[in-house]
Amino acid sequence: MTPGTNNHDMFENLRLELRRGSLVLAVLAALRKEHYGYTLRKTLEEKGMAIDEGTLYPLLRRLESQGLLVSEWREEEKRNKRFYRLSTDGKVILKQLLAEWQSINSSLDGML
Amino acid sequence: MDSVDRYLKAVAKALPEAQREDIIRELSEDIRSEMEDKKAEMGRPLTEAEQEALLKQRGNPLLLAARYHQDDRRVAFGRELIGPVLYPFYIKVLSFNLGLTFVVIGTIFLALGVSGQPVRFGDILSSCLLQLFIQLGVVTLIFSLIEKHLTKHPDRWNLSGKCGAVQLDIGTGRNVSLPIERSQQISRFESVSIIIACAVALVWMTEVQNNPFLILGPAAAFLKLAPIWYQVYFPIVLLTVAEIVRATINLVRPDWTLFRGVYSLFVQFGGLAVVYFLIRAGSWVTAADSATGSAGGYAHAAQIVNQWIYYGLLVTAILSAVMLVARLTRLIRAPRHDAGSPRVSEAAKEGN
Repeated sequence: MTPGTNNHDMFENLRLELRRGSLVLAVLAALRKEHYGYTLRKTLEEKGMAIDEGTLYPLLRRLESQGLLVSEWREEEKRNKRFYRLSTDGKVILKQLLAEWQSINSSLDGML
Repeated sequence: MDSVDRYLKAVAKALPEAQREDIIRELSEDIRSEMEDKKAEMGRPLTEAEQEALLKQRGNPLLLAARYHQDDRRVAFGRELIGPVLYPFYIKVLSFNLGLTFVVIGTIFLALGVSGQPVRFGDILSSCLLQLFIQLGVVTLIFSLIEKHLTKHPDRWNLSGKCGAVQLDIGTGRNVSLPIERSQQISRFESVSIIIACAVALVWMTEVQNNPFLILGPAAAFLKLAPIWYQVYFPIVLLTVAEIVRATINLVRPDWTLFRGVYSLFVQFGGLAVVYFLIRAGSWVTAADSATGSAGGYAHAAQIVNQWIYYGLLVTAILSAVMLVARLTRLIRAPRHDAGSPRVSEAAKEGN
């Protein structure tokens, strides 16, 4: 393995680590408005937070099992779709996370 | 939407059972929404090849399913040998093999006990431990090789694997029909696994010749294999080598499915012939010459073991005959499938 490849792999791992936390925040923020999986994915993509379905759906399930999201199957355009939105607990947690995010952001701004 | 159904089925196989239906329902909706978007964008329905390309972008179904697993169990000795993707399959295969082996060992000792032979706990334990180590070693080796391949080439997969006749009610208002698919390309995993399994079987068969303990366990002290096994040894080795040759050819040419179909038909016919000669022999174990003690008791033990082997061979013969007919029927019907889906075949070829 060349040093170049090593650096690239290391950067990729750190990038993914950085993104992972941000994705949770992005998904929670996007679900202040109700979405089903596909439109949520499109919305995130349009806002520059592209996420593949293999990451999004397991994440939605995890957040739902943690009580931060609620979902229901409903028919739309003659097709059954699962709609997600923030739960009451989810709204509280999102508020706290956003405050934390802004605090980290301003701290980093001061350092960079 | 054949390719979508096949993709969903491949994902479903590796999903946790409790959530399977729900996940597939949602994934199915996501795929269909994406395809409709593309259709609207292009102003025409997607071709089969375009559908397959979209599915390809979603990644290996096994890896996708693994992300839904809450548990992160794996096998590691220093470095990881079997990751969370293959772990559930590994456990299933190992449990099946060990279960079958323990049933065989249990049957032998039961037969010995019923016939009045002394059965010692230490003998049962040593037989079980020996089989445990052999099975654990072989199955772990095969799965760690597959894991290595999967890690090295995560994009090497296609939707042409063999599928069972399953119909999943995914609750979207209709049943997703997942019919038996004729394999358009033989998985390289399958070929490599067959080569390894046959090579292990060859070594084992050679060893059994000199060391009947490997098949009879402690009963080898007073039972021995009947002459018929030595007569069918060469044909069995020949069939095993033939299967290795076939798997090696398909490893190089995975698209030679018709070759595999015809070849396997002959090999299976050969196997059935061997089983026929075995059944005709009527006796498969006899009392060992070196056995001391009650000759009548040992002969009785041999009689009971022979009875069990007889039933086993009978079931094997029936299953082999049914499989042979099914294979032959599939082979006869195969050309019509090929003519109906040339593009799938081409896309599958590109996938490997």
